[in-house]
Amino acid sequence: MTGADGGVPAGSELAAFAEALVAADPGQLAAAISTLRQAVGDAGWVDAAGVAATFNAIDRVADATGIPLEPAKVDLSADLRAAIGLDAFRDGRG
Amino acid sequence: MSTDLYPEAKTPIRDDILQHHARALQHIAAPGAWFSGTERVAIAAETRLALECPFCQTRKDALSPNAVSGDHTHGGVLSETLVEVIHRITTDPARLSRSWYEGILAAGLADAAYVEAVSVVIHTISLDTFARGIGLAPRPLPKATDGAPSGYRPASARHTGAYVPVIPPGDEFGDEADIYDGMIGANVQQALTLVPDEQRSWFKLVSAQYLASAQMRDFDQEPRAITHAQMEFLAGRISALNQCLY
Repeated sequence: MTGADGGVPAGSELAAFAEALVAADPGQLAAAISTLRQAVGDAGWVDAAGVAATFNAIDRVADATGIPLEPAKVDLSADLRAAIGLDAFRDGRG
Repeated sequence: MSTDLYPEAKTPIRDDILQHHARALQHIAAPGAWFSGTERVAIAAETRLALECPFCQTRKDALSPNAVSGDHTHGGVLSETLVEVIHRITTDPARLSRSWYEGILAAGLADAAYVEAVSVVIHTISLDTFARGIGLAPRPLPKATDGAPSGYRPASARHTGAYVPVIPPGDEFGDEADIYDGMIGANVQQALTLVPDEQRSWFKLVSAQYLASAQMRDFDQEPRAITHAQMEFLAGRISALNQCLY
C-alpha cells in the first residue's frame, strides 16, 4: 500500500473506480471495474457501487442546501482548513 | 419488480438494494408535497439531460460560473428556473452559493419546492451512479403516478444556518416524530427535512446502499463486503472529486 491507496486494502482500485465514475468515461470505468472486481470480489464491487452512488448524491445535498459544518467538525478541522486555505475558497464562491 | 430491475447484472445484487431501488423509482414517480408525479418524473429526466447540456459544460469549464451566459439545452417541459436548478446541481454543485439560491427564490421557486427538486435530482443521480458503477445503463424512468401534491410543510421547520429551513433535532414532533429515528441528526440528515418524505426516502436508500446511521459508528461490525475503512476512503475520494466542502 502507498499514499495513493490511503493505506487501506484495495485503496488504489477503489480510488480508480471513484475517479472513473465521476469522470463518466465508459472506457476508464470498464477498466476500473475489472481491476476492482479482482481486488475486492463481486460482493465488494456491488457494495463499492452503493457507497459511490450514495456520496455522489449526498455531496449535492450538502452543496445545494448550504448546510454548515457541525461545530465539533469545525473545531476538529480548523488546523487543516487553515493550512490549505479551504475557508477562503468557500467564502469566495459567488 | 425488484428482481427484474437489473436482469443483465453480472453479479448478484443485495436484496435490500434491489428493494430500495425499486421503491426509490416509485417514490420519484409518485406525487410529492409540491410537484405532481408527472413533474417529478420530468425532473428526473431533466437530471439525465443535464449531462448532455453544452451550456452546462461551458459553465463548468469557466473560471467562475458567473463568467458565462447562455441557455440550457433541455426537455422543454419544466420552467427555466427549475431547469437551472436541476442542471446546476447535477453538473456544477461545488460552486453553488447562497446568492445563487436566493436568486432561484427571487425567480419564483418556493423554498420547499426547491428542496423537493433537490431530492428528486439526487435520488436520480444516486440510482444512475449505482447502475453505471455495476457496468449498466441507468434504468428506465417509471410512469408517473396520478394524484395531486399534498402541499405539506412541517410547522417546526425553521432557518438554522443552511440556505433552506430544516427541522432541528429536538423539534421533531407530531407527524415528524420519526424523522431522525436511528440517526444523530447531523446537518446532512437535516438538509431535506423541509419536505419530510424526501428525507425519509433518501435515508432509506442511504441505509441500503451504504450503512444505517448506527452501523456507521459501529466499528466492531463489518456488515458489508468491504470494510468501514474502505468505504470511508471511497466516500472521501468521491467527495474530493466533487469538491464537496461539507
